[in-house]
Amino acid sequence: MNKIFKQVIGWFIAAVFFFPIYFWITVSIKKDKDIFALPPKLFNFDVSFSAYEEVFGLSRFLYVEDMGAVRPGGGDFYMMPFLVDSIIIALGSTGLAMLISILAAYSLSRIPIKGQQHFMGWILSTRMMPPVAVAIPMFFIYKNIGLMDTHLGIIIIHALMNLPLAVLLMKSFFDDIPKDIDEAALLDGASRFFVFWRLIVPLAIGGIAATAVLCFIFSWTEFIFVLMLTQTGLKTIPVVSTSFVTSTGTAWDNMAALGTAAIIPAFIFILLVQRHLVRGLTLGSVKQ
Amino acid sequence: MSSQKSYSLPAFMSSDSAFPWLFPLITMLIVFAIVPFFYNIYLSFHEFVPAKRALLFVGWDNWIRLFTDGVFWGSLKVSLFYTFVCLAIQLVLGMGIALLIDSDDPGFGVIRSVLTLTLVIPPAIAGMIFLIMEDANYGLIPWALKAVGLIGAEDTILSDPSLAIWGVMIVDIWQWTPFMVLILVAGLRSLPSEPFESAVIDGAKPLQVFRRLTLPMLHKVIAVAVLIRGIDLWRMVDYVFVLTSGGPGTATYTLSLYSWQRFTFVQWGYGATISLFSLIVILIVGNAFIHFAKVKW
Repeated sequence: MNKIFKQVIGWFIAAVFFFPIYFWITVSIKKDKDIFALPPKLFNFDVSFSAYEEVFGLSRFLYVEDMGAVRPGGGDFYMMPFLVDSIIIALGSTGLAMLISILAAYSLSRIPIKGQQHFMGWILSTRMMPPVAVAIPMFFIYKNIGLMDTHLGIIIIHALMNLPLAVLLMKSFFDDIPKDIDEAALLDGASRFFVFWRLIVPLAIGGIAATAVLCFIFSWTEFIFVLMLTQTGLKTIPVVSTSFVTSTGTAWDNMAALGTAAIIPAFIFILLVQRHLVRGLTLGSVKQ
Repeated sequence: MSSQKSYSLPAFMSSDSAFPWLFPLITMLIVFAIVPFFYNIYLSFHEFVPAKRALLFVGWDNWIRLFTDGVFWGSLKVSLFYTFVCLAIQLVLGMGIALLIDSDDPGFGVIRSVLTLTLVIPPAIAGMIFLIMEDANYGLIPWALKAVGLIGAEDTILSDPSLAIWGVMIVDIWQWTPFMVLILVAGLRSLPSEPFESAVIDGAKPLQVFRRLTLPMLHKVIAVAVLIRGIDLWRMVDYVFVLTSGGPGTATYTLSLYSWQRFTFVQWGYGATISLFSLIVILIVGNAFIHFAKVKW
């Protein structure tokens, strides 16, 4: 009896947390009149995929006669360029952060340095910086060196944002690999770099994948850096989503379509590395 | 032998030394973390003067203004309230749910996966989800609250000065309570079972077991979860930006949002000063917490 009770409560909690997401998905496939219906229409609504067609540009080819129709905000909801921007930035910043952090984490795990604890504390302190406190000075620095409003600028700042996570997490994965492997190979005359590249990296590949997924997701969902360090050149999904709210009304269905489409790939990625998720969320300090 | 050595790299450049491994990281942190930090300090002693169209030295003016600015004190209060209340609710709720779903029975794995779902939603989009659910005219939540009589027929959430902050906090609680749950479940699952079995044999009550065994043994996991969540709550800006933009009036300005807002009003020096204040507070509190809670990495 107790077991069944636990199951029921557990599923109820899951349902409560899932409900807003379900509601958001229904908004993306509802027609305008059903979006604003009270009591809310949770199941009995007419399904329409026009929001997805507009956001992904299908309507450009399918319904040419609709092009002149006035929609809230003036009406262009073609979002593919911003989706591409988001993917470029997330992949680029993940690559950069991983490259830097794998090297540093291996060293922190294997080659003792003076003041290692302080160095780690410094890395962790970087994780505490409020984005606004970084973005305001970065705004002026980027203006001076020409990185303002560029993909490279956002890639660098997102990589920086993810570095503490990536370094600390990768260190914890390297720490799991016995040091005997390194020592044996070093005694046989292999160089440190050879040991790292040929022996340790292949062993840590699961951890590398988990770290990369988390970096990708945090870049994919980041908001304030992109808001402050771009103007017209590029936009990522979270920032462009807010542009659906305009003085003439809000295109809820389009916004929900874009939001739903943005969540799905991130969710698939995170399920793939669920085994390491808690370790990742705690920067490597809680092992599952 | 000696001629060969003179052509090889200096010792600190070889892969046996830590230097080449750490060099990219240190460069990146100096250029993109240390330099902005000092630039922020520089900015906090300067201000853009529209009449001269230039950033001029103003001495301590920005800092004096900071401590005499009522809106700043208000936003500090909002940030503190937001951080501590959300943290407390998420910890208690997270612990409750974690204890409930800490089980090997089939089905609980799926429940944990469902809870993972909220973590991958961009916070700005999570704000949007609740923006439509809390809409004054068509929103689901005000409608439900009115139906059960918790708020009056004319009341709203996001445009009510005292309720607006709760309208923002509910999003944070929804999105990040699962973060606490997943971490605490992982902590619970890693505990050894013997102490609990012998406690039950000794006739300990569940509450006693929780207070005397579970909490002390989970100390490290809880400390880490509180630290990371606390940092992110203090830095939060996405939700208020999307849901209220600090309104109504200045009721939901957090430090980060106020700083951003001053920045967009071309008060660059003052905006930098606010953000620097927020940065210094979290650095001191965060590192003190790491020290006293004995969190180790």
